[in-house]
Amino acid sequence: MKKLVAVTGCPTGIAHTYMAAESLQRAAEKMGVRIKVETRGASGVENRLTEEDIREAHAVIVSSDVDAEESRFQGKTVIRSPLGEAIKNGERLIEEALSKPSPSHEEPVKVAKEDREEKQSGPYQHLMNGVSFMIPLVVAGGLIIALSFTFGIHAAEEEGSLAANLMKIGGDSALALMVPVLAGFIAYSIADKAGLAPGLVGGMLASSTGSGFLGGIVAGFLAGYVAKWMKEKIRLPHSLEGLKPILLIPFLATLVVGLLMIYVIGTPVKNVMDTLTAWLQSLGTANAALMGLLLGAMMAFDMGGPVNKAAYAFGVGLLGNEIYGPMAAVMAAGMTPPLGLWLATQLARRKFTWEEREAGKAAGILGLSFITEGAIPFAAADPFRVIPSLVVGSAVTGALAMGLGCTLRAPHGGIFVLPIPHAVGNLTGFLLAIAAGTLVTAVLVSLLKKNVSAQEVQNGNQ
Amino acid sequence: MEISDLIRSEWIRLDMEGESREDVIRRLAGLLDEAGVLSDMEQYIADVFEREKVGSTAIGFDVAIPHGKSDGVKAPAVAFARLTRPIRWEPGKEEQAQLVFLIAVPKAMEGNEHLQILAALSRKLIDESFRQQLMEMSSPEEVLQSLQNGS
Repeated sequence: MKKLVAVTGCPTGIAHTYMAAESLQRAAEKMGVRIKVETRGASGVENRLTEEDIREAHAVIVSSDVDAEESRFQGKTVIRSPLGEAIKNGERLIEEALSKPSPSHEEPVKVAKEDREEKQSGPYQHLMNGVSFMIPLVVAGGLIIALSFTFGIHAAEEEGSLAANLMKIGGDSALALMVPVLAGFIAYSIADKAGLAPGLVGGMLASSTGSGFLGGIVAGFLAGYVAKWMKEKIRLPHSLEGLKPILLIPFLATLVVGLLMIYVIGTPVKNVMDTLTAWLQSLGTANAALMGLLLGAMMAFDMGGPVNKAAYAFGVGLLGNEIYGPMAAVMAAGMTPPLGLWLATQLARRKFTWEEREAGKAAGILGLSFITEGAIPFAAADPFRVIPSLVVGSAVTGALAMGLGCTLRAPHGGIFVLPIPHAVGNLTGFLLAIAAGTLVTAVLVSLLKKNVSAQEVQNGNQ
Repeated sequence: MEISDLIRSEWIRLDMEGESREDVIRRLAGLLDEAGVLSDMEQYIADVFEREKVGSTAIGFDVAIPHGKSDGVKAPAVAFARLTRPIRWEPGKEEQAQLVFLIAVPKAMEGNEHLQILAALSRKLIDESFRQQLMEMSSPEEVLQSLQNGS
């Protein structure tokens, strides 16, 4: 028998919530379908859907004017309807829900079950929640930057031009929000509303103190658990209890997380970056291929964090000294992480959630534009398997680029620099290096990553 | 707590000549106010209309359930009117109403037992045969009886 799940809810939560629930239940009963309806009314959430309910369901009906926590239904067929419709036309909604295909029937149930234990554990869920909110920002920001490059890679340098404004939208705004949103929604997943403010602020600090998305993940978990702890452990006299959620927790949790991010995370990160920069400069005359290998690996290691920034700054700094080799390695190696992931989502579809497969398409374009951030959602979701794959691929690219004597005179732009005369020296070698690293990363990711669990891919055919 | 703690036969009208939504709500609220359920009738009515603004409470099947959680309410209560003919509930909208339940809930109230009862009442209204009974009943006592059955 097919099973459906539904959520009903309304702001006052006295009548409509329950009428809609009843209407759906009656309609389902009449049609011989099992249904479980979660109600979100004035007396709180009742008959809450479990992970198992959601996993088993053929489709989800959301008929709610209040937040239904829809991130739970990622990868599910979701039918949204106004409450009035659910009350009056329960049967039509049930019919619609049944007629929709359940996504991803091709996923084998058995493999999915094996992985489930690992994937569904708490921290993974929180991480995925953050990643899922971050993806749209990466895609929007990256594509808008790429759009800016189509006016020429130097077009954005002219103040007030459309290209400069596109850069402002894509780079200064959308991508700048990426790490705060990642951290904020990891924390939100852990501690609900109490976690959001300290998470966003912690993520912002991760960006501004240079610790990048890895720092953002730390900030998210830190904020989430600090806020949760405060929510549960701080006890106030009844008359002051009201102050807790609106004043005390936002203030204290944000303060604690902020100070930790600056003094405990920020300072060492800055030291790491300074040390790496000094070390790279001391290498000066090392073997070219070895230098490329190192720079490549660094570019992919933390994508925007201190290691990546040290390599990038090194490459850009040498342009001023008319040394163009390292920059070629840096850019080529910064392009392969998203490119390799794009290829991996094409080669090994089962290893990715539908959301990641969609993000994979955008990652391809971001890679071509040297927007390494396109790889971050994938790396954040599964860091221990994805980051090593990216590092190896980029190291190969870096080594080949410098080993083959490629040079690059522009600090950004991806493939948009190719049409500029003399920008790239040894174009064939440059493209070869990128292709090789892309392939290495894609193959490694496909081998290392496990199949996605039942929860994300959904087989819903019980 | 039972549904009979929330509604009394004096708050049930089976032959109301309602002209409009405002008229019906005001009259039903008047019944509750006479019984001392409301501390501030105008405040309560204002809150009910605030809820109407968010979305019409005419749910179809000629049923409307205007309701308000309000500081103007002392204790949870329900009043019911069966109109002599269906009226257009909201100006400019299709939806009609002939069976009107007006629900009053205090804004701050401990526990949620009364909410459970109202939820049960709301659920009953989805039942076609229950609505049919409400249309045919001849005394407030009968209505009370049927509300209690199975709830």
